[in-house]
Amino acid sequence: MPSSNSHHNSANAQVNHIACPDCDLILSIPSLAVNEVTYCTRCDATLLKNQKNSINRTLAFAITGLILFIISNLFPLLSLKAIGLTQESSLLSTAFALFQADQPLLSLIILLTTFVFPATTLVGTIYILIQVKTNRINTYTAPLFRFLRSTDAWGMLEIFLLAILVALVKLGDVADVIYGVSLYAFCLLILSLSLLSYSLNPQDVWNKLRDKQEVSI
Amino acid sequence: MTTARQMGLISCHFCHTLSKLPNDIDEKSAKKQTEIICPCCYSSLHSRIPNSLSRTWALLLAALILYIPANTLPIMTVTYWGEGQPDTILSGVMHLLAEGMWPLALLIFLASIFIPILKLLTLFGLLISIHFRANWRPKDRTVMYRITEFVGRWSMVDVFVIALLVALVQFGKTASVSPNLGALSFAAVVILTMFAAHTFDPRLIWDAMEDDSSGEISAK
Ligand SMILES: [Zn+2]
Ligand SMILES: [Zn+2]
Repeated sequence: MPSSNSHHNSANAQVNHIACPDCDLILSIPSLAVNEVTYCTRCDATLLKNQKNSINRTLAFAITGLILFIISNLFPLLSLKAIGLTQESSLLSTAFALFQADQPLLSLIILLTTFVFPATTLVGTIYILIQVKTNRINTYTAPLFRFLRSTDAWGMLEIFLLAILVALVKLGDVADVIYGVSLYAFCLLILSLSLLSYSLNPQDVWNKLRDKQEVSI
Repeated sequence: MTTARQMGLISCHFCHTLSKLPNDIDEKSAKKQTEIICPCCYSSLHSRIPNSLSRTWALLLAALILYIPANTLPIMTVTYWGEGQPDTILSGVMHLLAEGMWPLALLIFLASIFIPILKLLTLFGLLISIHFRANWRPKDRTVMYRITEFVGRWSMVDVFVIALLVALVQFGKTASVSPNLGALSFAAVVILTMFAAHTFDPRLIWDAMEDDSSGEISAK
């Protein structure tokens, strides 16, 4: 039913119009110059952007990000030295420490926001963009991309970086803090993640998926 | 000014593909029928997020209830030489101020006290304004909504700080940090308000305008 529906309508207003996601206003899609962004005329929501090479750039940032994410997890982020003892912390060990301290739910929240969601974002983005680039879109591409878009807010590594800075200041005058190897990789990871979300133009992926669907009908 | 709904179209929440409501039935009867699937991304289509208001209310009330233990229960206990000192969110900020770390105190105050209150109040205000079908400054209300949605997650910073301290400061009787139930309650408040903001549909703010103008037309 949905396939016949879309085919039937592809000729009229639906194709060259867009509804504002924040206020539902119907606007015609303008032809955008490179780096141009359109906003809703009623509520100023960002509607569409045209970024040159968005898919290639995003893919590059995602691959860089994945490598940095792996490095960030191999070595400790911070170590604390006191009374002859050294305590190390990494992304996973932070979540695990809460589990050991009888806070399994809190531990799960940390595990999801600092490990699981960032990892799925990186791996999922790479997978989808490669599929889009090589024209090997299958029935799972769209649901997977939807999942990535809706879990985007739950990867919180940049907030975790802020927390590291806060912990550094708090502990600074109490004990010796040693920056781990991974901390540098982690800072670069945050940079690639923000560049990734800046360069990703979801509409480019959706357009590819839509074209593909129309061909298959 | 025509909306997608007025034109009998539904915009996909994810891919913004416009689909026609089948056979021009209005949304209420369409709801009873089989769901409409987006031809591009296969998500089920809704003109507005289903039950947006009641779900936002429920999540918001749950967050408000948990806000009490989040602020009264200790979030962590710092133990020095066997002497434990439990800290709540507010006493943590006070300690930082007393130690002269005011930039840090300000940051934690903003993330852990100001932003959650701002978020709860904004969402309450938005819900109430929609219940009263207010047409007061829809654009400003939409901007308020966007700010709430954007800054909300940064409240998690205190939870992460606690997690890091627990992971790092484990020196037996000399010094140790352990997490308390307040931290979990606070994390739950942040997560529930994030869900509340997510399930709130900003288009409802603008629907009141639409009803207003159509009412005027029919009155004439
Ligand atoms: Zn708009
Ligand atoms: Zn869709």
